[in-house]
Amino acid sequence: MSALATTSGFRRDALETLLATRSEPRWLTARREAAWDRFAALGMPDPQAEEWMRTDIRLFKLDRFGPALGGDAPAQRELPPPLLAAGVDLGGRVAALDGRTVVSELDARWAQRGVLLGDLSQLAAEHGDLLRTYLDRETVAPGYDKFSALGHAFWTSAAVLYVPPGVRVEQPIHLYSALGDGACDVSRTLIVLAEGAEATVLSETASRGPHDAGLHVGSIELLVEPGARLRYVNLQNWGDKVWHFAHQKAAVAARGGLQWTLGALGSRLAKVNQRVALTGPDAEAQVNGVLFTQGRQHLCYNTHQHHEAPHCRSDLLYKAALQDESRTVWRGMIKVDPVAQRTDAYQRNDNLLLSPTARADSIPGLEIEADDVRCTHGSTSGRVDDEQLFYAMTRGYTRREAVRMIVAGFFQQVFDRITIESVRDALGEAIGSRVRDLQ
Amino acid sequence: MADFREVADTVDLDDPGSLLVEVDERLVVLVRAAGHWYALDDVCTHDGGPLSNGRLDPDAKTLACPRHGAQFDLASGAARTMPATKPTVAHEVKVEGGKVYVRLRS
Repeated sequence: MSALATTSGFRRDALETLLATRSEPRWLTARREAAWDRFAALGMPDPQAEEWMRTDIRLFKLDRFGPALGGDAPAQRELPPPLLAAGVDLGGRVAALDGRTVVSELDARWAQRGVLLGDLSQLAAEHGDLLRTYLDRETVAPGYDKFSALGHAFWTSAAVLYVPPGVRVEQPIHLYSALGDGACDVSRTLIVLAEGAEATVLSETASRGPHDAGLHVGSIELLVEPGARLRYVNLQNWGDKVWHFAHQKAAVAARGGLQWTLGALGSRLAKVNQRVALTGPDAEAQVNGVLFTQGRQHLCYNTHQHHEAPHCRSDLLYKAALQDESRTVWRGMIKVDPVAQRTDAYQRNDNLLLSPTARADSIPGLEIEADDVRCTHGSTSGRVDDEQLFYAMTRGYTRREAVRMIVAGFFQQVFDRITIESVRDALGEAIGSRVRDLQ
Repeated sequence: MADFREVADTVDLDDPGSLLVEVDERLVVLVRAAGHWYALDDVCTHDGGPLSNGRLDPDAKTLACPRHGAQFDLASGAARTMPATKPTVAHEVKVEGGKVYVRLRS
């Protein structure tokens, strides 16, 4: 059953209907209502604003969508097969379909050690005091723009993972969100690794059909407490008619470590703000981005590395290959606060254009307020070298094989940084199957 | 090849004048100038932003980008002046029975 049949737009009465169908504690509904006030007060983003001037959403009609309300929850068997979980021994998983959580499982081994995994609506009832302290931080600000306010008011699926102090979850956790044609997913993800904890989380999205339409608005909040280490992967693989608006932010405390790998393959238009804040001394973050676009896709990723404390390290590498008339926009910023001396920060974006009508906008930036730092950035955009192609073909490769090999080589630098084999394989296969020929 | 889509009535536009229309999920600037009809992708190839609301010159048969002034040929979409160097897409237009139709070129 399609969620579209039971939606009624993002209106106040829809919020009230949504709240009536859930038994959430008052403190949680109060947050939704506060976010509603912001959503109602905010206009759509200003197309002249720097953040939006290269991302045209005039064809996006918000009133055609609404939150998933009432009706029967979709069946788990309708979930399309995930890419990242194949052959992986999972420690737990949460899956949502058409904006409703349909699977929530955690291995007893981890549950016994105090790990929490599930949907926020359910966990808030039993563990409200604990979760509330983390939600109070508003890592993703509800009032940042209309989409963040919408997400905080109308979320219908929310995956939460909490790992207690010192617990190392050795098996990866899988988070999955899928959409049917015309459906809407407003989601949240909250991951908290308490002091000294460790975990690996594989998160992915998909549509049931490659050309399905839909809307996803969501937020991801990653809280890495002192000395904790998180490996987080999120693969965006929506259908090519899905609108995707997301706010994602990690806060890494003293001595904490984050490896964040992002894959972006799907959606008609994606506008994603991915932010990492290093909030305590000696924290570090590595961010890997793998993007492949085709058709008339438009993917806009704004990244932000915020050094709020001294002696921290951040290293960002985004690589994108584009074919057909697709377009990517990457705006990166390294922000170093006055207190953040001895910062070591790097950002780089490389783009490989497989078609003369593809377009990549790459805009790196530095904003440095400390005077004893090492901050560097780089950006390249170019076509496949004809001589490389010619050479490969003289060695017996067909032209298409040669192009695929060159594309694979282009991504190898970022694949080498991804330490999870299933992720490398899934991304490599997904990209390899998309590459056609030089245009 | 795409079909012609009805996008406007001829009375919707003055001459000279322009109108932003949606055709099969694409934004197109429909232009009426010196008795002729034109349709361009609403994309300036210099910065990728919209062309609509730019200055229309019916004598030179150009539409200028409202931000940096790059001029595009109404008939062919060719970039006539810097800072644009690549053409924008010019679509087919026909007028029948007081209606304006556009057929997209990819």
